[in-house]
Amino acid sequence: MSQAPDFPGLKRRELLAGLGAAAVSGLAAGAEPLQEAQVQAWDISTDVLVAGSGSAGASAAIEARQAGADVLLIESLPHFGGSSAMSAGVVYAGAGTALQRALGVADSVEAMSSFIIGAGGPHPPLDKIQLYCEQSPAHFGWLVAQGVPYAEKLSTAMTVPTDGESLYFSGAERAWPGRDLAVPAPRGHVPVARGMTGGRVLMEALLARLDVLGVVRRAGVAGQRLVLAGDGRALGMEVNMAGERKTIRARRGVVLASGGFIHNREMVRNYAPRLYDCSVPWGNMGDQGMGINMGIAAGAAALRMAQGFAIVPLYPPESVLSGIVVNASGQRFVAEDTYYGVLGDAIAYHQQGRAWLITGEGSHLPPQQDNFPLVAEANTIGDLAVKLDFPRGALQHSVAYYNRHAENGTDPMFHKSAPFLRPVQGPPYRAWNLAVDQAFVPVHTFGGLHTTVDGQVLNSFGEAIPGLYAAGRTAAGLPGAPYIASGLSVGDCTFFGRRAGLAAAAQGASA
Amino acid sequence: MTRPLVALAAVVLALYATAGWAQLATVSEMPLVAGDPERGRLVFAQCRTCHYTVPEQIHGNGPNLYRIFGMVAGKQPGFEYYSVAMASAEFVWTPQLMYAWLENPIAALPDTTMMSAGVPDPGQRADLIAYLQRLSVLGSGD
Repeated sequence: MSQAPDFPGLKRRELLAGLGAAAVSGLAAGAEPLQEAQVQAWDISTDVLVAGSGSAGASAAIEARQAGADVLLIESLPHFGGSSAMSAGVVYAGAGTALQRALGVADSVEAMSSFIIGAGGPHPPLDKIQLYCEQSPAHFGWLVAQGVPYAEKLSTAMTVPTDGESLYFSGAERAWPGRDLAVPAPRGHVPVARGMTGGRVLMEALLARLDVLGVVRRAGVAGQRLVLAGDGRALGMEVNMAGERKTIRARRGVVLASGGFIHNREMVRNYAPRLYDCSVPWGNMGDQGMGINMGIAAGAAALRMAQGFAIVPLYPPESVLSGIVVNASGQRFVAEDTYYGVLGDAIAYHQQGRAWLITGEGSHLPPQQDNFPLVAEANTIGDLAVKLDFPRGALQHSVAYYNRHAENGTDPMFHKSAPFLRPVQGPPYRAWNLAVDQAFVPVHTFGGLHTTVDGQVLNSFGEAIPGLYAAGRTAAGLPGAPYIASGLSVGDCTFFGRRAGLAAAAQGASA
Repeated sequence: MTRPLVALAAVVLALYATAGWAQLATVSEMPLVAGDPERGRLVFAQCRTCHYTVPEQIHGNGPNLYRIFGMVAGKQPGFEYYSVAMASAEFVWTPQLMYAWLENPIAALPDTTMMSAGVPDPGQRADLIAYLQRLSVLGSGD
């Protein structure tokens, strides 16, 4: 971020010649753990080593340091902040946070957890969800205490506020089925920012705290493999520091917070093939899966590796939601006004990545826009269906059924909300291609290491690997497929990052 | 065409390392392969998460790229996150320079704040440049 990168002993010209190559080979490496006996001498020692400088790593480092541990935080890239700094910085928080209360928003642990459990995928991590919801007001207070700025201003728009508002409905709360699960509450807490830069604001605050507290942070240091004791305990890490191999001893614990793997194309193809063809791998280039791979190599289990978010941003403008979204059979399959992560999940994971938005007169979509291409236009739905090569009569049937009920203000299939329930009627009829490889579809991975609520990494037998912790997208946390609200990922990163840091610091120092 | 293009990037690095920004003008006169702006729209999609392309002077995590060609690098009002080197740049963004820079941004400029691997594929990069050139004429919304 704003701090100048630190390249020990390396001259500018050497950097120009070699940094790219060194960084790439360092990231691509991957090897079985180093055994303690193979380490001649440790180059660096600390109590807690945190690998990764996004919101999970920074939160872990802050808490470990405040618990009295010496903390070294390393970042493989030249700048700190990770993918969190590229994000909108939304933290999904509720159950009566100070900001919700200040804005007169009613919320409860039950409402929040009912929504997360009910609207998400099957068999979510209930223990993590419960804890996250119960402690959400306190966690938001912690973020404020770290200096993250929030304004007492509510936005009712469906998209991330970019004009200084700090609270909005960041997910599928108001769409079906979310609104039937619990009374909808705005839970997206966004740092005050102009443009979509909330993540940068969040990370500037957390990184500044690291410096105040005395966490040592080093950029351009890439983890390569863990160092394990004979009994499997994690003792430290071998890293690539400016092209040289160094070993770092972590007396109390190692926290892997190195992000997900969206920029490791081979891992995405192997683990999360549904995301492979999506047009926008979203994350900073450090999301190479190194933390996950180091953990797996040390015996960790990895969960939900195929899951991730796929966002198909239909809105803004929200007026476009009066159109219908259909699959290759010309049939609807989702409430069009749901959160764009739920829509994207339905397309990427359940419709082979293919879908079309059908609009009629009054859809208010500019003919030229960069989110998704206009692929067909006709004066009748029948002609449009022919151009799209849909099964004969299918689209006409879908539109007629939808229109008949929309005129009466109902949507028996997917319960689209009243404000968006209008018949698709009147030419020109248009079809917009929402295919994941043709539309603007940002994707990120959610699979990661199996952890306890305290970030302790578990193996396939459910046993803890001593001294090894993981958080953020390196761990399998709260967010899954479908992604039901912005802020669940960074919320999970900060909340469980803190717990991992605390747990690592609390562990007795190993000899 | 691949080989001369790779060489072009190397020239940029060498020039910057030895003589600084002023010499980069030479690169801007080198020939550039024509790309397809519609394919470039998809290549640019990964950039869009940080870079706005609208006429309004609003910036994301990266500076606005509306009509970027012809601007002096690192000087957009309201964007405060240029790296030291980029902020002190003395060159004008041309399609050729953008093409060279995006091959491997961190290698070309180690203190860049853009934590992106760039667009290593020459064909995709040419498409991206074509798209940015279209934006320089139209703006994304027109």
